[in-house]
Amino acid sequence: MKLTLLVDVVGAGLMTGGIYALVALGLNLQYGLMRVLNVAHGEFLMVGAYLTYSLHTAWGVNPLLTLLVTGPAAFGAGLVLHRLLYARLVAASDSREALESRSLLLSFGLLFVLQNAALLLWSADLKGYSYLSTPFRVLGTVFPANRVVAACVALGLSVGFYLVLQRSLMGKAVRALMQEPEGAQLVGIDVNRLHGLCFGIGIAMSAVTGSLVSMLFELTPFIGLPYTVTALVVVILGGLGNVMGSLLGGLLLGLVETASVYLVASDVRIIASYAVLSLILILKPSGLFGR
Amino acid sequence: MGMRRREFLKVAAAGAAAAPLLHGRARAQAKPVRIGYTLSATGPYSVGAQITQAPNYTLWQEQVNARGGLAVKGEGRRPIEFISIDDRSEIETAVRFYEKLATDDKVDLMLPPWGSAMNFAIAPVASKYGYPLLGPTAISAKFRELAIPYFYTFLVQPEGQMKAVAALLKDLKAQGKISKVAVAYVNDLFGIELNAAAGPALKEAGLEVVDTKSYPLGAKDLSPLLKGFKAAGADAFVGLTYPPDNILVTSQAKEVDWNPPVFFTGVGTAFPFYRERFKGAEGVMGIGGWNPKVKFAGAREYYDAHVKKHQKKEPDRWASAFAYASLQILEKCVGEVGLDRPKIKAMLDATEFQTVAGPIKFARGENVATPGMVGQWQKGEFEIVWPRAWATGAAVVPKAPWA
Repeated sequence: MKLTLLVDVVGAGLMTGGIYALVALGLNLQYGLMRVLNVAHGEFLMVGAYLTYSLHTAWGVNPLLTLLVTGPAAFGAGLVLHRLLYARLVAASDSREALESRSLLLSFGLLFVLQNAALLLWSADLKGYSYLSTPFRVLGTVFPANRVVAACVALGLSVGFYLVLQRSLMGKAVRALMQEPEGAQLVGIDVNRLHGLCFGIGIAMSAVTGSLVSMLFELTPFIGLPYTVTALVVVILGGLGNVMGSLLGGLLLGLVETASVYLVASDVRIIASYAVLSLILILKPSGLFGR
Repeated sequence: MGMRRREFLKVAAAGAAAAPLLHGRARAQAKPVRIGYTLSATGPYSVGAQITQAPNYTLWQEQVNARGGLAVKGEGRRPIEFISIDDRSEIETAVRFYEKLATDDKVDLMLPPWGSAMNFAIAPVASKYGYPLLGPTAISAKFRELAIPYFYTFLVQPEGQMKAVAALLKDLKAQGKISKVAVAYVNDLFGIELNAAAGPALKEAGLEVVDTKSYPLGAKDLSPLLKGFKAAGADAFVGLTYPPDNILVTSQAKEVDWNPPVFFTGVGTAFPFYRERFKGAEGVMGIGGWNPKVKFAGAREYYDAHVKKHQKKEPDRWASAFAYASLQILEKCVGEVGLDRPKIKAMLDATEFQTVAGPIKFARGENVATPGMVGQWQKGEFEIVWPRAWATGAAVVPKAPWA
């Protein structure tokens, strides 16, 4: 195998995978912790992308700096949504199955509300801008500079979040809650507070991913759902409630997709990713890193 | 969905409010001509539908009603009333609504939805109930095979379109400006058919095709393809693309540092949005062509009226004019033969129409008066550069560096 081809495949794979990992982490955090399957996850990505687009085109704010706006804003929105909707749902559901199905319905509602709000605010026209749309040369090949930057930021945030979970007291509480919800409550972990916090962080991750995505692709109010689906694939691949699994699962999916595009053809990208998913589900149904 | 319904409610409310005033006054205020259609306001088709068709439908309705209504032969002028919904880019929703329009609402006329796949699905329904349908955004050789009696297409179909591209490239090769062609196409009905037509057309023109690659709809990274073309030494890129990947392939060409002398892309290049997105997109060529400088009666007036009505939104430089032309043709037919639909069909089959998009003549439902065209962004306008007889400017090759 030629070196440049290897650099091409691995480089582009990590770039795609970094984005996948970040969006999947957010989804996994919500599902792993609360058993709330948020199918509107990608919609928050879409809203984050539009916010960055608007800030950049209207006021010339650097797209990377907008992360400082979209992240906290989405976090705040997540806290409010949790308080108004999800906390009540958790309180009113007496079984895990009831909570899963009700939260699914709720998030479908959110999906439609957010899509239509975006449609009214930004219309259905394609929206986009050019940022760092220049070649970035490395090891005899060339990558789009904006993808390199977006992937570095996404990977940095993912790894940073993983470290926070491993090292901080709050992270310990979150991990405890994921592993043993009842036991965690017994030792005095405030479940409701932690749920709200993690729901907010999950949504913030989605919105921040959106800010990065807006540097690469054109926006419509309907770009969210494919990311939700990809995030679900990654979460299943890596194992439900497993943060490291989402990170590595995302990178793996990115690599598989890119390798199939470079070595076979663009058309087999989706086939390859689902083939890997099926294979892993057959060999290890709980996911790569699931218990 | 909200948008359509709101518009409908607005019209309905205005009608209700005006009714008492008009009562006693004008028998001439005849009952409206009811025209039904769906257009996508949400979902993946909404981008094209809201650029190319929706603005023209509403512009035409406003203009005709300002003239006192649609002139119906033997009945005088009658106001136009639209009955429409957002089909949410769902083909089943559109099919059901067209069935309802024919059987329940019993509308006088129908207008088509946006896109080849949608038109495919509803054309047989409209035909079954004998509604002539003039489709400005349907491109597929399959329409000819199916020969749906009441369906009419405006855009030049794949074969003619690719012959125009090949002829231009052949001309450029003779001038020594290009020699190697690379083709990329979206793996969807549109791309597959155009690619099937491109192969023989390029071969016949004596051009060397160094690489042909397909990619799926919704592709997120086309740089592998472009790097391959660049490595193969291609100097003419022919992209048979759809709007989102059209933008992607253009920005990525710049990002992988590839600026071939000819850079040709498909649906979306003629959108004003594309020009803004790429800072003028100087020198990029695209499928089809129309601009306000064409020498057809009413072209400039149409352009100005469109910009004025839609908050400075310009018509796109390809199918928009055909969408408006389809309405001009419908208006002309109703003026001459009334709302008798078989008679409208007979007139469509027999007449050469003069429109803002030039002469239109149907042979077995296919517009044969418009040739395949190639446009090129030059200093802010999408100049028609091929064929020569229709050209509003000369092709500039090699294209300018990426802005």
